[in-house]
Amino acid sequence: MKGYKTLIFALAVIMVIAGCKKYEQFPVDKVTISYIFDPKDSAGVNAQEFLYGIYAKMKNGHNRVGGDYLDASSDDAMSSAFGPANEATILSTAAYNSYTIPTDENLWAYYYQGIRSANEFVDNIDVVPVLAKYNGYSIKYLWKSEARVLRAYFYFELVKRYGGVPLLGNKVFTLTDNLQLPRNSFDDCIKYIVSECDAVKDTLLTTPFSNPNADSHRVTRGAALALKARVLLYAASPLFNGGNIDPSNPLTGYSNFDASRWAQAAAAAKAVMDLGTYSLVGNYKDIFLTQNNPEIIFMRQGDNGNSIETANGPVGFTAAVGKGQTSPTQELADAFPMNNGLAITDPASGFDSNNPYANRDPRLTYTLLYNGAQWLNTQLQTYEGGQSKPNSTLQQTQTSYYMRKFMGNFESSNSYSGHNEDWLIIRYADILLDYAEAQNEAVGPDASVYQQLTALRQRAGIQPGADGLYGLKAGMTQDEMRIAIQNERRIELAFEESRYWDIRRWKIAETIMNQPRKGVSITQSGTGFLYNDINVLTTKFVSPKMYLYPIPYDEVLKNPSMKQNPGW
Amino acid sequence: MLNRFCKNTKFKLQGGACRCLKGYFLPALICLVITAKSDISIAQNSTLKQSAQSGRVNGTVVDEFNVPLQGVHVSLKRKADSTSTNINGQFSINAAAGDILTFNCKNFYVREVKIKGGDTLSVHLIPAYLKSADKADVLYGTTDRASVLGSISTVYTNQLTTTPASLYTYALPGQLPGLYTQQISGFTAPPTGGQTQPDFIGNVVQHNNYSPNDNNEISLSLRGQTPITIIDNVQREISSIDPESIESISVLKDGLSTILLGNNSSRGVLLITTKRPEAGKPRISLTAQTGLQQPLGLPTPLPAYQYSYLYNEALQNDGKPAIYTSSDFNAYRNHTDPIGHPDVNWFNTLLQNYSPMTSYRLNVNGGTQIAKYTISVNYLDQQGMFKTASSSLYNTNNDLNRYMINSDVNVNVTPKFNIDLQLFGRVQQMTQPGAGYNNILNTLYTTPNNAYPIYNPNGSFGGTALYTNNLLSQAEYSGYERTNSNDVLANLDLSYDLGSITKGLSAKGKGNLSFSSQSFINRSLQNNAYLYVDSGYSAIGSPVAQNNVFNTVSSARYAYAQGSLDYQRSFGKNNVSAMALYDYRSQVLNFDLSQVSTNQALKAAYNYDNKYFVEAAVDNSSYNRYPPGHQFGLFYAGGLGWQMGKENFIKDNLKWIADWKWRLSYGKTGNANVDNYGYYNFLQTYTASQGYAYTTGTARGNVQSVLENGFANPFITWEKAHKLDIGTDIGLFNDHLKITADYYHDSYYDLLQIRGASIALLGASYPYENIGVNLYTGGELSVTYQNNAGSFNYFITGNASIQSTKIVYSDEEPTPYPWTKHTGEPVNAIYGYKATGIFQTAQEAASSPTTVGYTAQAGDVKYADLNHDGVINQFDVTAIGNTRPLFFYGTTIGFNYKGFSFSAILQGVANRQILYDNALINGFSGVGFLGLVYSGQGYNVLSDRWTPETANTATMPRLSLGNANNTAYSTLYVRSGSYFRLKNAEIGYSLPAGWAHKISVSGVRIFVNGENLWTLYGYKGIDPEVYGIAYPIQRVFNAGINVKL
Repeated sequence: MKGYKTLIFALAVIMVIAGCKKYEQFPVDKVTISYIFDPKDSAGVNAQEFLYGIYAKMKNGHNRVGGDYLDASSDDAMSSAFGPANEATILSTAAYNSYTIPTDENLWAYYYQGIRSANEFVDNIDVVPVLAKYNGYSIKYLWKSEARVLRAYFYFELVKRYGGVPLLGNKVFTLTDNLQLPRNSFDDCIKYIVSECDAVKDTLLTTPFSNPNADSHRVTRGAALALKARVLLYAASPLFNGGNIDPSNPLTGYSNFDASRWAQAAAAAKAVMDLGTYSLVGNYKDIFLTQNNPEIIFMRQGDNGNSIETANGPVGFTAAVGKGQTSPTQELADAFPMNNGLAITDPASGFDSNNPYANRDPRLTYTLLYNGAQWLNTQLQTYEGGQSKPNSTLQQTQTSYYMRKFMGNFESSNSYSGHNEDWLIIRYADILLDYAEAQNEAVGPDASVYQQLTALRQRAGIQPGADGLYGLKAGMTQDEMRIAIQNERRIELAFEESRYWDIRRWKIAETIMNQPRKGVSITQSGTGFLYNDINVLTTKFVSPKMYLYPIPYDEVLKNPSMKQNPGW
Repeated sequence: MLNRFCKNTKFKLQGGACRCLKGYFLPALICLVITAKSDISIAQNSTLKQSAQSGRVNGTVVDEFNVPLQGVHVSLKRKADSTSTNINGQFSINAAAGDILTFNCKNFYVREVKIKGGDTLSVHLIPAYLKSADKADVLYGTTDRASVLGSISTVYTNQLTTTPASLYTYALPGQLPGLYTQQISGFTAPPTGGQTQPDFIGNVVQHNNYSPNDNNEISLSLRGQTPITIIDNVQREISSIDPESIESISVLKDGLSTILLGNNSSRGVLLITTKRPEAGKPRISLTAQTGLQQPLGLPTPLPAYQYSYLYNEALQNDGKPAIYTSSDFNAYRNHTDPIGHPDVNWFNTLLQNYSPMTSYRLNVNGGTQIAKYTISVNYLDQQGMFKTASSSLYNTNNDLNRYMINSDVNVNVTPKFNIDLQLFGRVQQMTQPGAGYNNILNTLYTTPNNAYPIYNPNGSFGGTALYTNNLLSQAEYSGYERTNSNDVLANLDLSYDLGSITKGLSAKGKGNLSFSSQSFINRSLQNNAYLYVDSGYSAIGSPVAQNNVFNTVSSARYAYAQGSLDYQRSFGKNNVSAMALYDYRSQVLNFDLSQVSTNQALKAAYNYDNKYFVEAAVDNSSYNRYPPGHQFGLFYAGGLGWQMGKENFIKDNLKWIADWKWRLSYGKTGNANVDNYGYYNFLQTYTASQGYAYTTGTARGNVQSVLENGFANPFITWEKAHKLDIGTDIGLFNDHLKITADYYHDSYYDLLQIRGASIALLGASYPYENIGVNLYTGGELSVTYQNNAGSFNYFITGNASIQSTKIVYSDEEPTPYPWTKHTGEPVNAIYGYKATGIFQTAQEAASSPTTVGYTAQAGDVKYADLNHDGVINQFDVTAIGNTRPLFFYGTTIGFNYKGFSFSAILQGVANRQILYDNALINGFSGVGFLGLVYSGQGYNVLSDRWTPETANTATMPRLSLGNANNTAYSTLYVRSGSYFRLKNAEIGYSLPAGWAHKISVSGVRIFVNGENLWTLYGYKGIDPEVYGIAYPIQRVFNAGINVKL
């Protein structure tokens, strides 16, 4: 009996010892920084994935702001889902303050996250022994340059919203660091962004890509230069250059006007043009549908899908469901000239108010869907009670127009199918317009200014006319040319998040956005239609404070060094 | 044999009026019927023999199971003579015909019997509704109630069984002081998706270690904290145990009572003790009951013509053209065009008035001195409120179908060594319509009567471009979804008497394993709806063929082991007890790493003459989800007590005071809730798998992208509390009147919060840090009076609790105005604007401050501009509700007279406020893409809207299709949450024993009872507990029969 007990005891001891195996104390599948920036990973797989994480921080502008395009908050469109909770409406009716700015435009924290990621990458990538080479150097230097351009882009997105913001350099902050940082001046920010673009421009890929299949999404030398051109254009614009809303405040702009800023902007745009690698694609519609076309300079990769149609397509089609989210305004429709290039207000243009969509700039058809336009194998009905404007409780166009831009070519299809949905941040047409604007301001409407506009009009399909000026008036004054460029910019870049910022940097938002937005009410009359302009939304803009966004309320409270923008 | 048991039993009853042979409440178990009958016949024979003596009345006193009761006090009314029943329940007393005998036994109703002469009496005593036990259940054992120093309240079986419901938690409201309950859904919500890590975090259970919980209907809050459920000394979140098999449910409210939980001791405990086997004749109890459930608090939808009229009004208010014409109104009103102008009451179309709930319960208890056992078998079928189609081949209604077996075998292996093996098994099947009952309810609440016809003329489902999924099709023809849930639990207890080493020493061991798995079967489908226009039909919606998808919801494994040494001994008047305890608990959920917590505890208690008490405990406790090196913490508690009633100055002078004890306890406790705030959040991690995918190149190579996750907090630790409780227990007038009062002061600190100075320039999200301090103070009072007038026994018990909370410290961001601060406010305060009325004129609107960017009109809500800056914004937000101490109370009254019984539980809450879901109030909201299309349903509350005509009486602002100004959170939408309910009532009748014996059973009882029978609440169409779009609370009418063998 005693031996039996001893045996049990011995067994127990053995079991205890045998049971002493190691087990996982905390999850080792959790990715740590030494896994991302792995000193032994000669392929740099994880580091590259981290870089893609930074890329993914770029915003895709399609349906970005509460389901709308940002330009639905400008004079180009309104949201069909307008209402007090609709973000686009909040922006266009001045219904926000520093606390209630709509989520999708409240990007302060978001871009600082992007900046942190870029800083982490810049600070840590050096330890990764990437073997693959580009131009004789490890491609990790290429990646690093890409991260720096992305970081500069994030800063630009902040600066155009807030003015000067805190510049963090390469510092990756920790919980114990003092984060009560002051804002840097507007001038500092512009200088920093430009210097970053300049610093890395020679260590980036150049176009055309040797392997677009893998690389077409990448930040290139052209992108860095184009970003610089845009930043300088903004910096030279009236809002910051001479029209500072708080003239002596270095955070909100320059304290003086300096024409040389326009010259710098023109030179920066010229530098992109001089690369010789970009050109306008032949067909306006193809810009957004063809991947890796020569007009794309800087983009945010999207999917292959039809979410644009689903959200914005006209209502009333059961096989091709669209929710008609965007209602382009009558003002935008009226901005398109006739196909002879003359504005519809010009008595010689041949505009027929009873047949308003005939013989117009072809870009109108590519940008808007109007009553009678060919779409999904039908003549679109946006007259009152028509198939696509049934006046029921269904969300539908408020203006009798739907957005057409960015969509696939579904004029003769019965349903929607997937297509390229990349978001173009800067394309070659931007650069031409940037150059034309800056050059006109710096020098005047010289031939090179005309040349850019005629190039765009030619590509659009406007008739050249006897003088080859595509309807542009010869010998315009600088002011006349400014109006012409602003209109060209509006129609060429509609819905591309250009107009919303342009009316601000030109300081014309206070005039434009304090007018009612217009649509058209179309009624059937026999075989024809009657067109009556109607007011669809009362927009509002509080000048001057709304030229810049308020710094988020919490950030000012938590940080005594953070100065709020004037008026907020 | 019975005699020997009585001598051997260690169950010492103290201070009772009588000594009952059996734990009358303890469940019965099987024994063979033969054994049973032989026991009875023995008893009867001896009775007969004694009745032969002349001039005396002889008899037997038995309980409901015909088991003899020992020590029943038998007295002659108005005469001095009295006696007690012997071990066989027999008595003999000098009495003549016409005398009245009174039978008195603790925890049984008093019974009076008039002697007719010459008979041998057989007296059945009925257990009292309110039990007053001498033993109290405490964590990991029992103790004399007289020596408890903490705050513990208990209810027993009878207080649980009158509630017809699927979970025992339904029976708790109003019965336990300090326990606040709110029902949040009227039906169990079956989990359907595969539960992943994030689901368990802060979501499934707010309890310390997240685990699947079957209670998603009643939220419990014990002194403001969600209690941990401990069943038979093992932590398990099971709320569906058969109430008849539960011996008691206690709440442990103070720090001393819970300290053995170490780093989980902060939140209080709901302690469930199931019935233990008792030796003796088999006691078999069979209950069958069936009830009807009726949904309460459903809103009244507007008929189509009113709806369309008000919709037009809203459009006009918004400056938009009307969409309904007067011919539309007529068609809606007269129902002349049911296809083009439908008027469908979807509530009536989809819901049935009554839905059944049936349950069967079998409890068996019995055994011998050596081996005893109990078995509880339970079946429940609860049906939901949706109508079903007769053509459907399967049930599509919500349905809860459950089988449970609980068994326990207790064996005395040797006189010193006892083994107890408990096995619990549960199989549950939860069905719901294929479209998901929650989706259906959401759609039901937001679909107007005129949305579309149920059927088109050709019999197809109606629909429109906005309503692409027909509601009737969703409710009755969308297939079904089923969640199956299986639980097995095995519990082994060993105890060994080490009296041979030193007297009073014993060792205990416990091993527990349990498994829980849930799986989901999706057999749903979606039908096309058709839009009927101009005699043509166009298909809309996206039909889905019937799925056959299976996935695992969760799979969990729990292991628990416990070992302890106990010492209990008296030296004269000095009573000493001590315990050393080690326990180990491990949980594995799905593929997660196991969570392990351990406790090493010492507990000691001393009292002198049961008059002066002192107790202390210390616990070194660990949890492996904290950073290595910081996993152990020390928690401690102590208590003092004074039985003032035993002092001579009371004993000699105030004889009506039976008991008067003072007690005080303090505990430093912990709350290891780190899992509710992230997964291993002391590790800085980067997300790969769930990160943003980024496509690269024209090939759109789908490349994984990685980003840094939120900041880690390497210093994270458990939340802590200082818990102080002062209480007194008073027994007066022979214990007919009992009073218990408690005051508590619980300071919770190191609460996990995000720091206020979380500056976004960091570029990362801030971690939770141990920052906050909340104070909970309050008092509880319970008073019980029970007595009898002859055989008429009656009782009333009531309790009331008041609870005040305060945010003592919260690292708030600096705010320029004191009224916007949360610090100093109650923990659950509601924040919003102060509505001061409705603008009556355009001038008033134009000259008053309004919300940012809004131009107010007459009929809009007017808000108080607290900082007088001319605009209503974040600076005008202040605490607008739940700022007063919460007060809740309950009372149970009842009586029993010769087999008739009645009981009722009334329950109420005061000083509670709710922010009522204003989408339902405002109407027209919540349909379509992102819910932004304002064409949802309207309810009859809309008739209170502001119009120029009703300006003086309107309580709601003017109608609008989504108006941010008028729907902002404000006092306008804060409603009183105070209510008073007849929560439960039961009337029962026990057939006379003679009748029962004729059909060879010990007893038959028939009963009817009900739940949520009557409610006093200020708002029609809303229930104060389950409000908004949720499965409504149910009123239940139930009837049943209980047979005891």
